[in-house]
Amino acid sequence: MFKAIVSAETLTSALDSVSVLVDECKIHLEEDGLEIRAVDPANVGMVDLSLDASAFESYDADGGLIGVDLSRLEDIAGMAESGQLIQLELDEETRKLHIQIEGLEYTLALIDPDSIRQEPDIPDLDLPAEVILEGKDVNRSVKAADMVSDHIALGVDEGEEFFYVDAEGDTDDVHLELTQGDLIDLQVGPAHSLFSLDYLKDMNKAIPSDTEVTLHLGEEFPVKIYFGFAEGQGQVTYMLAPRIQSD
Amino acid sequence: MRLDDYIEELEPDEEAERRRLAKEKSYAITDHLEEFERNFEQSLSGDSLVGSTAPSIFVGRSNYPDIPVGLLSPVGDEDAAEEYVTDGNWYQQGYDIPDVLQRRTGLLNSNKRANVDSPSIASRLTPNVHDAWDGFVGVQREVAIAGRPVDLEIGLDDTPDLGLDAGTDVATPRGPRANARNAELRENPYVPKPVKKTLEDDDWQAQGAMTFLYRRGFDVYDINSILSAGALGEAKQRRLVPTRWSITAVDDTVGQYLRGRIRNEPSVDEVQVWANEYMGNRYWVVLAPGNWEFELVEMKAPGSIWNPNPGDDVWLQSASEGYEGRSSYVEETAGAYYAARLGVLEYLESIGRQAKCLVLREVSDDYWAPVGVWQVRESVRNAFDGTYGEAETFHDAVAEISTQLPVSHARLRRKSELAAGLQANLSSFTGQE
Repeated sequence: MFKAIVSAETLTSALDSVSVLVDECKIHLEEDGLEIRAVDPANVGMVDLSLDASAFESYDADGGLIGVDLSRLEDIAGMAESGQLIQLELDEETRKLHIQIEGLEYTLALIDPDSIRQEPDIPDLDLPAEVILEGKDVNRSVKAADMVSDHIALGVDEGEEFFYVDAEGDTDDVHLELTQGDLIDLQVGPAHSLFSLDYLKDMNKAIPSDTEVTLHLGEEFPVKIYFGFAEGQGQVTYMLAPRIQSD
Repeated sequence: MRLDDYIEELEPDEEAERRRLAKEKSYAITDHLEEFERNFEQSLSGDSLVGSTAPSIFVGRSNYPDIPVGLLSPVGDEDAAEEYVTDGNWYQQGYDIPDVLQRRTGLLNSNKRANVDSPSIASRLTPNVHDAWDGFVGVQREVAIAGRPVDLEIGLDDTPDLGLDAGTDVATPRGPRANARNAELRENPYVPKPVKKTLEDDDWQAQGAMTFLYRRGFDVYDINSILSAGALGEAKQRRLVPTRWSITAVDDTVGQYLRGRIRNEPSVDEVQVWANEYMGNRYWVVLAPGNWEFELVEMKAPGSIWNPNPGDDVWLQSASEGYEGRSSYVEETAGAYYAARLGVLEYLESIGRQAKCLVLREVSDDYWAPVGVWQVRESVRNAFDGTYGEAETFHDAVAEISTQLPVSHARLRRKSELAAGLQANLSSFTGQE
């Protein structure tokens, strides 16, 4: 059983943060909210999303599992105007999702969850540095790096205690330093890793500019990116594997 | 073999000697053009070329969609027509630049303009190339799908222009051209069975049909010609495709098919360096363990064909793709990217492995005329003959090769996505490989 009413903005934000990595996903319809975990086919980027029941206008579920084609569902959600509500109801018999936006009714065929790529286990990584910054600073860093290169280095200078972003291109360089004062918080630790901008650009699209973003970093280790949406009732954690420079 | 020993054994002296000989031979081209002119006059009867034979076609792209469609025929050397067809044999026979230019300039391109969708007036009622078998375009399409050179008679509007065009890296240099009035078959062309199948099935998407032909043993050169003539794919999608575009389309399509084949294969288990040198181009192919990733970096020496000023710096270009391929158009390296990628994928598919692969192409000033993108394809395909050098790590291999390159390791790392860092996957950090 699943029946919920949610604002178009909240649903779209949730779907967008997953669709940057995969085309299809499994959605767990838990009693206390939705949960999605997915990893891209290359096993480079991972997303772990939860949307609490309190983010919905009304929410009723008992632990079902559905498989959806994300771009389909995004298209439908995109039919709603800002401020409109979207009503979702699962038909257990036909395995279809009934979607209502004002007068518009849409019946979405679901995908067999078993046919969707297996959900990843969330790796338990010991990442020594933690950086908390505003979404707009992540956006600024990614945008600047993209002007000169296809990859970006994120690191922490332990001695001088700042977080930095480096991008080296064919001819041009980008360097950005954010000190304790520019950041919301910084826990210094040995950290320097290179990441593909292809992935980071996509992840950045899902990060609201006015949100707090927490980065966990290590040396040639994956980055963990955590942020909230829907007034903190939705949480996204991305994990992105680095490009290895040393061996 | 250790990489440093491997590099030492590449015997640069022998290469230099071969290049010197190649340069001397280039004078032969001038003589060749004079001979062509004589042959041409002999073959001309009235304003028709009688007893001509066409092994291949050329579809231009100027003024698209009203493009020049041409029949290529070796005037005065009809018996050797097969040898004028660009394919892997040219590499196997060790053609050098002058050899290629002789073949090119020995082919008369008799062409006529046609619309890519409705090549003749008759077929404008059904504006589609897929059933155009009459007129000049019809004859040209018969030649494209035929398994052997076809005897025909071409009516010319004027005498040929013997000017030798420089061409580009993808398309090959062209020989003499003439405007054709008409063309007629002098025999019933032989069409191989699989080609008939793709021709007749007009519900079959082009990608699938191309892959089918490739699996039936047709090389990309044959498929290219068939695609170019609009002789495969869904009926409503069929149209004439400029040769330059179809070469890249076929390399890309077959490459995607092969990439799919190795997607779930285990990775190579060591870092291997393969090298090859052909026509003033040196290739280094580095394979390393991990999921598929590919990059071509081209270094064009000052004084080489696209970087003509001898005082300039080495010109660098690169393009790369990850495990799932590219989502955007290749802006740098163009057709060479897909040709090199095909060569690597064919090898990986043959050994049932995937790998991270960096191809470095060094173009020296000995590459004084572009011969076409087949040279890249065949050089990379054949780089996997013989032995390879082993290195401890990918970055060790790149550092060691850098000592042989015309650019510094630092500059290479700035330009090359793979030399800067190899994409790891998440499972290597969780031990759940």
